[in-house]
Amino acid sequence: MIEKDIVITNKLGLHARASAKLVQTLHGFQSSAFISCRGKEVNAKSIMGVMMLAAGLGVALKLRTEGPDEAAAMAALVDLFERKFDEGQ
Amino acid sequence: MSVGVLLMTHESMGAALVNAARHVLGRLPLPLDVQEIGANDDPEQRLRAAAASARELDHGDGVLVLSDIYGATPCNIAQRLPQLGVHMRCVSGLNLPMLLRVLNYPEQSLDELAQTAAHGGRGGIVVDHP
Repeated sequence: MIEKDIVITNKLGLHARASAKLVQTLHGFQSSAFISCRGKEVNAKSIMGVMMLAAGLGVALKLRTEGPDEAAAMAALVDLFERKFDEGQ
Repeated sequence: MSVGVLLMTHESMGAALVNAARHVLGRLPLPLDVQEIGANDDPEQRLRAAAASARELDHGDGVLVLSDIYGATPCNIAQRLPQLGVHMRCVSGLNLPMLLRVLNYPEQSLDELAQTAAHGGRGGIVVDHP
């Protein structure tokens, strides 16, 4: 299991398109993935789960991956946040 | 395995939801069609059109029909599709969370996807944002 703390830096936060992109990215991995925010944990492969966090700019998240490719899944996840979901801002 | 998705709604609703889903997801992973029923449409003619659409969407795993409100004409027409040989499950109360959730599980069987749709539609309703 790998855990990592991250802060949302893209302007629109985990809005619909970003949530969809996150879920689609994780679908390429076998590992389970979870996101915790304000004491609530959701399945990061569930688009409605991720959206229900309603997590905006500046919100702190805990990412967790668990499974055979957990390191690669976590790297892809962190990369997506660091790239600001390719939204440019 | 791939289920077809048929939206049966009142005018302007189905296409708007599909546009929103496309905006969020980009490419849609399941074959999908929209049948919007107008107030002055002939139900018999629209039933035939819906059946033709459903047959085209069905690649052997059936069709998930999503209708906007139970008991209204689009849904009532959908309920008659099995009489025309359409293999389907119908879930009513269509909303954007339901549609997005369905499109996020394209590998599921028809029965699973019907439950996924219902769960997504209910789960997408949130009162207040504390």
